[in-house]
Amino acid sequence: MNCEQFQEILPEVIDGGRNVEQETHLQSCPVCSGLVADLSLISQEARQLQEFADPAPRVWNAIEIALRREGLIREPRLGPALLPPVKHRWSFAWLAPVTAAALVAFGVFVYERGAREPQPVAQVPTAAPAAVTNLQTGKSQKSVNNEDQQLLEAVGSRAPTMQAAYASNLQNVNAYIRDAEESAQADPNDEEAQQVVMDAYEQRATVYEMALDRSLP
Amino acid sequence: MTDARKLQGDKLSEAEAIERAKLGDAEAFQLLYSLHKRRVYSLCLRMTANTAEAEDLTQEAFLQLFRKIATFRGESAFSTWLHRMAVNVVLMQLRKKSLPVVPLEETLENEDEAPKRELGAADPLLSGSIDRLRLQRAVDALPPGYRRIFVLHDVEGYEHNEIATMVGCSIGNSKSQLHKARMKLREALKTSRAEKAAKP
Repeated sequence: MNCEQFQEILPEVIDGGRNVEQETHLQSCPVCSGLVADLSLISQEARQLQEFADPAPRVWNAIEIALRREGLIREPRLGPALLPPVKHRWSFAWLAPVTAAALVAFGVFVYERGAREPQPVAQVPTAAPAAVTNLQTGKSQKSVNNEDQQLLEAVGSRAPTMQAAYASNLQNVNAYIRDAEESAQADPNDEEAQQVVMDAYEQRATVYEMALDRSLP
Repeated sequence: MTDARKLQGDKLSEAEAIERAKLGDAEAFQLLYSLHKRRVYSLCLRMTANTAEAEDLTQEAFLQLFRKIATFRGESAFSTWLHRMAVNVVLMQLRKKSLPVVPLEETLENEDEAPKRELGAADPLLSGSIDRLRLQRAVDALPPGYRRIFVLHDVEGYEHNEIATMVGCSIGNSKSQLHKARMKLREALKTSRAEKAAKP
Protein backbone atom coordinates (compact mmCIF):
# COMPACT_ATOMS: atom_id res chain seq x y z
CA MET A 1 0.00 0.00 0.00
CA ASN A 2 1.30 3.45 -0.91
CA CYS A 3 0.44 6.91 0.49
CA GLU A 4 -2.13 7.69 -2.18
CA GLN A 5 -3.99 4.47 -1.54
CA PHE A 6 -3.86 4.96 2.20
CA GLN A 7 -5.12 8.53 2.07
CA GLU A 8 -7.88 7.50 -0.27
CA ILE A 9 -9.39 5.37 2.46
CA LEU A 10 -8.39 7.63 5.34
CA PRO A 11 -11.92 9.03 6.00
CA GLU A 12 -13.10 5.46 6.54
CA VAL A 13 -10.26 4.23 8.70
CA ILE A 14 -9.24 7.20 10.81
CA ASP A 15 -11.91 6.81 13.48
CA GLY A 16 -12.24 3.07 13.14
CA GLY A 17 -10.03 0.02 13.14
CA ARG A 18 -7.21 -0.52 10.67
CA ASN A 19 -6.20 -3.75 9.02
CA VAL A 20 -2.72 -5.16 9.04
CA GLU A 21 -1.81 -3.70 5.65
CA GLN A 22 -2.86 -0.20 6.71
CA GLU A 23 -1.02 -0.50 10.04
CA THR A 24 2.12 -1.62 8.27
CA HIS A 25 2.00 1.38 5.97
CA LEU A 26 1.44 3.75 8.89
CA GLN A 27 4.42 2.39 10.77
CA SER A 28 6.70 2.76 7.79
CA CYS A 29 5.44 6.15 6.50
CA PRO A 30 6.17 9.32 8.47
CA VAL A 31 3.93 11.44 6.20
CA CYS A 32 0.81 9.34 6.71
CA SER A 33 1.48 8.66 10.38
CA GLY A 34 2.03 12.42 10.92
CA LEU A 35 -1.21 13.15 9.11
CA VAL A 36 -3.15 10.65 11.21
CA ALA A 37 -1.57 12.04 14.39
CA ASP A 38 -2.56 15.62 13.49
CA LEU A 39 -6.11 14.73 12.52
CA SER A 40 -6.56 12.72 15.71
CA LEU A 41 -5.21 15.62 17.74
CA ILE A 42 -7.67 18.05 16.11
CA SER A 43 -10.52 15.66 16.81
CA GLN A 44 -9.42 15.27 20.42
CA GLU A 45 -8.98 18.99 21.05
CA ALA A 46 -12.32 19.85 19.46
CA ARG A 47 -14.05 18.86 22.68
CA GLN A 48 -12.60 22.04 24.20
CA LEU A 49 -15.17 23.94 22.19
CA GLN A 50 -18.13 22.12 23.70
CA GLU A 51 -18.71 24.64 26.47
CA PHE A 52 -16.83 27.56 25.17
CA ALA A 53 -18.86 30.69 25.77
CA ASP A 54 -21.74 32.12 27.78
CA PRO A 55 -24.69 33.79 26.10
CA ALA A 56 -25.42 37.42 26.97
CA PRO A 57 -27.84 37.99 29.87
CA ARG A 58 -30.40 39.39 27.44
CA VAL A 59 -30.99 35.85 26.16
CA TRP A 60 -32.46 34.70 29.46
CA ASN A 61 -34.40 37.95 29.81
CA ALA A 62 -36.02 37.37 26.43
CA ILE A 63 -36.79 33.75 27.30
CA GLU A 64 -38.36 34.73 30.61
CA ILE A 65 -40.51 37.42 29.03
CA ALA A 66 -41.71 34.96 26.39
CA LEU A 67 -42.45 32.29 29.01
CA ARG A 68 -44.50 34.74 31.05
CA ARG A 69 -46.32 36.01 28.00
CA GLU A 70 -47.18 32.46 26.95
CA GLY A 71 -48.32 31.61 30.47
CA LEU A 72 -45.69 28.90 30.94
CA ILE A 73 -44.43 30.62 34.07
CA ARG A 74 -47.39 30.45 36.36
CA GLU A 75 -45.92 31.33 39.72
CA PRO A 76 -44.26 34.41 41.11
CA ARG A 77 -40.57 34.14 41.89
CA LEU A 78 -39.80 32.61 45.22
CA GLY A 79 -38.55 34.94 47.89
CA PRO A 80 -39.84 37.59 50.19
CA ALA A 81 -42.45 39.90 48.72
CA LEU A 82 -44.06 42.84 50.39
CA LEU A 83 -47.38 42.15 48.79
CA PRO A 84 -49.51 39.12 48.07
CA PRO A 85 -50.11 38.15 44.43
CA VAL A 86 -51.68 40.84 42.28
CA LYS A 87 -55.21 39.47 42.40
CA HIS A 88 -55.20 39.59 46.21
CA ARG A 89 -53.61 42.96 46.71
CA TRP A 90 -56.86 44.82 47.26
CA SER A 91 -57.97 42.58 50.07
CA PHE A 92 -59.94 43.98 52.97
CA ALA A 93 -57.05 43.21 55.33
CA TRP A 94 -54.84 45.84 53.70
CA LEU A 95 -57.54 48.48 53.64
CA ALA A 96 -58.56 47.90 57.24
CA PRO A 97 -55.87 50.08 58.90
CA VAL A 98 -56.48 52.90 56.44
CA THR A 99 -60.22 52.79 57.04
CA ALA A 100 -59.73 52.62 60.77
CA ALA A 101 -57.34 55.54 60.68
CA ALA A 102 -59.86 57.56 58.66
CA LEU A 103 -62.64 56.89 61.15
CA VAL A 104 -60.47 57.80 64.13
CA ALA A 105 -59.26 60.95 62.37
CA PHE A 106 -62.83 61.93 61.63
CA GLY A 107 -63.80 61.44 65.30
CA VAL A 108 -60.86 63.49 66.55
CA PHE A 109 -61.60 66.22 64.03
CA VAL A 110 -65.24 66.49 65.11
CA TYR A 111 -64.22 66.51 68.78
CA GLU A 112 -61.56 69.20 68.32
CA ARG A 113 -63.76 71.39 66.16
CA GLY A 114 -66.38 71.45 68.88
CA ALA A 115 -63.92 72.06 71.72
CA ARG A 116 -61.56 74.66 70.26
CA GLU A 117 -61.64 77.93 68.36
CA PRO A 118 -60.46 77.82 64.75
CA GLN A 119 -56.73 78.45 64.48
CA PRO A 120 -54.52 79.51 61.60
CA VAL A 121 -53.58 76.45 59.65
CA ALA A 122 -49.97 75.44 59.44
CA GLN A 123 -48.44 75.42 55.99
CA VAL A 124 -49.34 72.17 54.27
CA PRO A 125 -47.95 70.55 51.15
CA THR A 126 -49.61 70.99 47.81
CA ALA A 127 -52.59 68.89 46.91
CA ALA A 128 -52.26 65.14 46.89
CA PRO A 129 -52.52 64.57 43.12
CA ALA A 130 -49.48 66.77 42.60
CA ALA A 131 -47.49 64.64 44.99
CA VAL A 132 -48.63 61.53 43.18
CA THR A 133 -47.67 62.92 39.81
CA ASN A 134 -44.26 63.86 41.09
CA LEU A 135 -43.68 60.39 42.44
CA GLN A 136 -44.78 58.79 39.22
CA THR A 137 -42.43 60.92 37.20
CA GLY A 138 -39.47 59.77 39.19
CA LYS A 139 -39.30 62.16 42.09
CA SER A 140 -36.51 61.22 44.43
CA GLN A 141 -37.20 59.30 47.59
CA LYS A 142 -35.87 62.28 49.53
CA SER A 143 -38.49 64.61 48.00
CA VAL A 144 -41.20 62.10 48.74
CA ASN A 145 -40.02 61.86 52.31
CA ASN A 146 -40.02 65.67 52.61
CA GLU A 147 -43.59 65.84 51.34
CA ASP A 148 -44.66 63.16 53.74
CA GLN A 149 -42.91 64.97 56.56
CA GLN A 150 -44.71 68.23 55.71
CA LEU A 151 -48.02 66.45 55.64
CA LEU A 152 -47.35 64.82 58.99
CA GLU A 153 -46.40 68.18 60.49
CA ALA A 154 -49.67 69.62 59.21
CA VAL A 155 -51.59 66.72 60.70
CA GLY A 156 -49.65 67.09 63.95
CA SER A 157 -50.54 70.75 64.25
CA ARG A 158 -54.26 70.01 64.00
CA ALA A 159 -54.60 66.51 65.43
CA PRO A 160 -51.42 65.38 67.21
CA THR A 161 -52.96 62.05 68.21
CA MET A 162 -53.41 61.15 64.55
CA GLN A 163 -49.84 61.82 63.48
CA ALA A 164 -48.53 58.33 64.30
CA ALA A 165 -51.43 56.67 62.46
CA TYR A 166 -50.82 58.77 59.34
CA ALA A 167 -47.08 58.10 59.52
CA SER A 168 -47.81 54.40 59.56
CA ASN A 169 -50.30 54.74 56.69
CA LEU A 170 -47.81 56.63 54.56
CA GLN A 171 -45.13 54.07 55.28
CA ASN A 172 -47.46 51.27 54.21
CA VAL A 173 -48.67 52.98 51.09
CA ASN A 174 -45.11 53.90 50.01
CA ALA A 175 -44.01 50.29 50.48
CA TYR A 176 -47.02 49.25 48.44
CA ILE A 177 -46.04 51.62 45.65
CA ARG A 178 -42.45 50.38 45.62
CA ASP A 179 -43.53 46.77 45.44
CA ALA A 180 -46.12 47.46 42.76
CA GLU A 181 -43.53 49.32 40.68
CA GLU A 182 -41.07 46.46 41.02
CA SER A 183 -43.69 44.01 39.79
CA ALA A 184 -44.54 46.24 36.86
CA GLN A 185 -40.90 46.73 35.94
CA ALA A 186 -40.28 42.98 36.08
CA ASP A 187 -42.87 42.50 33.39
CA PRO A 188 -43.71 45.69 31.50
CA ASN A 189 -46.33 43.79 29.48
CA ASP A 190 -48.35 42.85 32.54
CA GLU A 191 -51.36 45.15 32.37
CA GLU A 192 -52.63 43.98 35.70
CA ALA A 193 -49.36 44.96 37.35
CA GLN A 194 -49.58 48.40 35.73
CA GLN A 195 -53.09 48.78 37.08
CA VAL A 196 -51.86 47.89 40.55
CA VAL A 197 -49.28 50.69 40.32
CA MET A 198 -52.06 53.15 39.47
CA ASP A 199 -54.15 51.81 42.32
CA ALA A 200 -51.23 52.19 44.70
CA TYR A 201 -50.80 55.84 43.75
CA GLU A 202 -54.53 56.42 44.15
CA GLN A 203 -54.26 54.94 47.59
CA ARG A 204 -51.52 57.40 48.45
CA ALA A 205 -53.66 60.24 47.11
CA THR A 206 -56.50 59.08 49.32
CA VAL A 207 -54.27 59.20 52.40
CA TYR A 208 -53.21 62.74 51.47
CA GLU A 209 -56.82 63.85 50.89
CA MET A 210 -57.89 62.43 54.23
CA ALA A 211 -55.01 64.13 56.02
CA LEU A 212 -55.65 67.47 54.35
CA ASP A 213 -59.37 67.32 55.02
CA ARG A 214 -58.64 66.78 58.67
CA SER A 215 -56.13 69.61 58.73
CA LEU A 216 -58.24 72.29 57.10
CA PRO A 217 -60.64 74.34 59.17
CA MET B 1 -23.42 13.23 40.21
CA THR B 2 -22.50 15.78 37.55
CA ASP B 3 -22.97 19.54 37.64
CA ALA B 4 -25.92 19.12 35.35
CA ARG B 5 -27.57 16.75 37.78
CA LYS B 6 -27.08 18.67 40.94
CA LEU B 7 -26.77 22.36 41.58
CA GLN B 8 -24.32 23.68 44.06
CA GLY B 9 -25.00 22.88 47.65
CA ASP B 10 -28.52 22.15 48.71
CA LYS B 11 -30.38 23.71 45.80
CA LEU B 12 -32.70 21.89 43.45
CA SER B 13 -31.51 18.86 41.54
CA GLU B 14 -32.07 18.84 37.81
CA ALA B 15 -34.84 16.25 38.14
CA GLU B 16 -36.64 18.38 40.74
CA ALA B 17 -36.22 21.44 38.57
CA ILE B 18 -37.79 19.62 35.62
CA GLU B 19 -40.80 18.66 37.72
CA ARG B 20 -41.19 22.19 39.06
CA ALA B 21 -40.78 23.69 35.59
CA LYS B 22 -43.69 21.51 34.46
CA LEU B 23 -45.76 23.34 37.09
CA GLY B 24 -44.65 26.73 35.82
CA ASP B 25 -42.03 27.60 38.41
CA ALA B 26 -39.90 30.51 37.17
CA GLU B 27 -36.89 29.57 39.27
CA ALA B 28 -36.90 26.05 37.91
CA PHE B 29 -36.84 27.33 34.34
CA GLN B 30 -33.96 29.62 35.18
CA LEU B 31 -32.06 26.81 36.85
CA LEU B 32 -32.40 24.54 33.82
CA TYR B 33 -31.28 27.39 31.61
CA SER B 34 -28.24 28.05 33.80
CA LEU B 35 -27.21 24.41 33.75
CA HIS B 36 -27.26 24.08 29.99
CA LYS B 37 -26.84 27.54 28.52
CA ARG B 38 -23.10 27.27 27.83
CA ARG B 39 -23.35 24.00 25.99
CA VAL B 40 -26.33 25.08 23.90
CA TYR B 41 -24.96 28.53 23.15
CA SER B 42 -21.53 27.14 22.27
CA LEU B 43 -23.15 24.68 19.89
CA CYS B 44 -25.13 27.47 18.22
CA LEU B 45 -22.09 29.70 18.05
CA ARG B 46 -19.88 27.01 16.49
CA MET B 47 -22.55 26.06 13.97
CA THR B 48 -23.27 29.62 12.85
CA ALA B 49 -20.03 31.46 13.65
CA ASN B 50 -22.21 34.48 14.42
CA THR B 51 -22.85 35.79 17.92
CA ALA B 52 -26.20 37.46 17.36
CA GLU B 53 -27.54 34.52 15.40
CA ALA B 54 -26.26 32.11 18.06
CA GLU B 55 -28.08 34.06 20.77
CA ASP B 56 -31.33 34.00 18.82
CA LEU B 57 -30.99 30.28 18.24
CA THR B 58 -30.18 29.63 21.91
CA GLN B 59 -33.31 31.53 22.84
CA GLU B 60 -35.38 29.58 20.36
CA ALA B 61 -33.94 26.22 21.46
CA PHE B 62 -34.74 26.86 25.13
CA LEU B 63 -38.20 28.17 24.32
CA GLN B 64 -38.98 25.06 22.32
CA LEU B 65 -37.67 22.93 25.15
CA PHE B 66 -39.71 24.72 27.80
CA ARG B 67 -42.85 24.57 25.68
CA LYS B 68 -42.46 20.80 25.46
CA ILE B 69 -41.13 20.15 28.94
CA ALA B 70 -44.46 18.73 30.09
CA THR B 71 -43.94 15.88 27.64
CA PHE B 72 -40.51 14.98 29.00
CA ARG B 73 -40.83 11.61 30.68
CA GLY B 74 -37.19 10.99 31.48
CA GLU B 75 -36.66 8.04 29.12
CA SER B 76 -33.56 9.80 27.86
CA ALA B 77 -31.19 12.14 29.65
CA PHE B 78 -32.52 15.66 29.79
CA SER B 79 -29.27 17.01 28.36
CA THR B 80 -29.49 14.62 25.40
CA TRP B 81 -33.05 15.74 24.75
CA LEU B 82 -32.11 19.39 25.01
CA HIS B 83 -29.03 19.17 22.83
CA ARG B 84 -30.85 17.23 20.16
CA MET B 85 -33.50 19.92 20.19
CA ALA B 86 -30.87 22.63 19.94
CA VAL B 87 -29.24 20.89 17.00
CA ASN B 88 -32.60 20.59 15.27
CA VAL B 89 -33.32 24.27 15.82
CA VAL B 90 -29.96 25.25 14.36
CA LEU B 91 -30.22 22.92 11.39
CA MET B 92 -33.74 24.08 10.65
CA GLN B 93 -32.62 27.69 10.84
CA LEU B 94 -29.71 27.04 8.51
CA ARG B 95 -32.05 25.40 6.02
CA LYS B 96 -34.60 28.19 6.35
CA LYS B 97 -32.07 30.90 5.78
CA SER B 98 -30.56 28.99 2.87
CA LEU B 99 -27.10 29.73 4.11
CA PRO B 100 -24.38 28.91 1.63
CA VAL B 101 -23.95 25.37 2.91
CA VAL B 102 -22.07 22.74 0.98
CA PRO B 103 -24.62 20.58 -0.87
CA LEU B 104 -25.07 17.42 1.12
CA GLU B 105 -24.62 14.75 -1.48
CA GLU B 106 -22.25 16.65 -3.64
CA THR B 107 -18.66 15.51 -3.57
CA LEU B 108 -16.51 18.47 -2.71
CA GLU B 109 -13.62 18.41 -5.02
CA ASN B 110 -13.52 22.12 -5.71
CA GLU B 111 -9.82 22.97 -5.82
CA ASP B 112 -10.34 26.08 -3.71
CA GLU B 113 -12.21 24.26 -1.02
CA ALA B 114 -11.07 20.69 -0.92
CA PRO B 115 -7.99 20.10 1.18
CA LYS B 116 -4.87 18.87 -0.53
CA ARG B 117 -3.58 15.35 -0.14
CA GLU B 118 -0.40 14.93 1.84
CA LEU B 119 1.89 13.13 -0.52
CA GLY B 120 5.64 13.46 -0.46
CA ALA B 121 7.77 15.07 2.20
CA ALA B 122 6.65 15.17 5.81
CA ASP B 123 5.38 18.48 7.20
CA PRO B 124 6.01 19.68 10.71
CA LEU B 125 3.39 18.12 12.96
CA LEU B 126 0.92 20.06 15.03
CA SER B 127 1.96 17.94 18.03
CA GLY B 128 1.21 18.66 21.66
CA SER B 129 -1.98 20.60 22.23
CA ILE B 130 -3.89 23.14 20.20
CA ASP B 131 -4.67 26.54 21.59
CA ARG B 132 -8.44 26.83 22.05
CA LEU B 133 -8.70 30.30 20.53
CA ARG B 134 -6.77 29.32 17.44
CA LEU B 135 -8.92 26.24 17.06
CA GLN B 136 -12.07 28.28 17.49
CA ARG B 137 -11.00 30.74 14.80
CA ALA B 138 -10.09 27.93 12.45
CA VAL B 139 -13.46 26.23 12.97
CA ASP B 140 -15.30 29.51 12.44
CA ALA B 141 -13.47 29.96 9.14
CA LEU B 142 -14.54 26.57 7.79
CA PRO B 143 -17.10 26.47 4.99
CA PRO B 144 -20.53 26.07 6.65
CA GLY B 145 -21.09 22.53 5.39
CA TYR B 146 -17.78 21.26 6.74
CA ARG B 147 -18.26 23.16 9.96
CA ARG B 148 -21.67 21.68 10.55
CA ILE B 149 -20.45 18.09 10.34
CA PHE B 150 -17.26 18.80 12.27
CA VAL B 151 -19.15 20.44 15.15
CA LEU B 152 -21.71 17.67 15.32
CA HIS B 153 -19.13 14.87 15.27
CA ASP B 154 -15.95 16.11 16.90
CA VAL B 155 -17.33 18.80 19.23
CA GLU B 156 -20.73 17.41 20.16
CA GLY B 157 -19.85 13.74 19.87
CA TYR B 158 -22.63 12.52 17.59
CA GLU B 159 -21.99 9.38 15.53
CA HIS B 160 -22.05 9.43 11.75
CA ASN B 161 -25.33 7.52 11.60
CA GLU B 162 -26.97 10.09 13.91
CA ILE B 163 -25.56 12.98 11.88
CA ALA B 164 -26.76 11.39 8.67
CA THR B 165 -30.30 11.24 10.08
CA MET B 166 -30.25 14.75 11.54
CA VAL B 167 -28.68 16.44 8.54
CA GLY B 168 -30.23 14.29 5.86
CA CYS B 169 -27.16 12.86 4.16
CA SER B 170 -25.51 9.47 3.81
CA ILE B 171 -23.12 8.12 6.40
CA GLY B 172 -20.36 8.08 3.80
CA ASN B 173 -20.97 11.73 3.04
CA SER B 174 -20.79 12.60 6.70
CA LYS B 175 -17.46 10.79 7.03
CA SER B 176 -16.12 12.42 3.89
CA GLN B 177 -17.07 15.94 4.99
CA LEU B 178 -15.64 15.38 8.44
CA HIS B 179 -12.34 14.28 6.99
CA LYS B 180 -12.19 17.29 4.72
CA ALA B 181 -13.05 19.58 7.59
CA ARG B 182 -10.21 18.16 9.68
CA MET B 183 -7.79 18.49 6.78
CA LYS B 184 -8.72 22.13 6.31
CA LEU B 185 -8.37 22.75 10.01
CA ARG B 186 -4.93 21.18 9.95
CA GLU B 187 -3.87 23.50 7.14
CA ALA B 188 -5.29 26.53 8.93
CA LEU B 189 -3.65 25.66 12.23
CA LYS B 190 -0.29 25.09 10.59
CA THR B 191 -0.53 28.43 8.80
CA SER B 192 -1.51 30.14 12.01
CA ARG B 193 1.39 28.51 13.86
CA ALA B 194 3.85 29.52 11.12
CA GLU B 195 2.62 33.12 11.19
CA LYS B 196 2.98 33.22 14.95
CA ALA B 197 6.50 31.83 14.74
CA ALA B 198 7.47 34.38 12.10
CA LYS B 199 6.49 37.30 14.33
CA PRO B 200 9.44 38.91 16.12
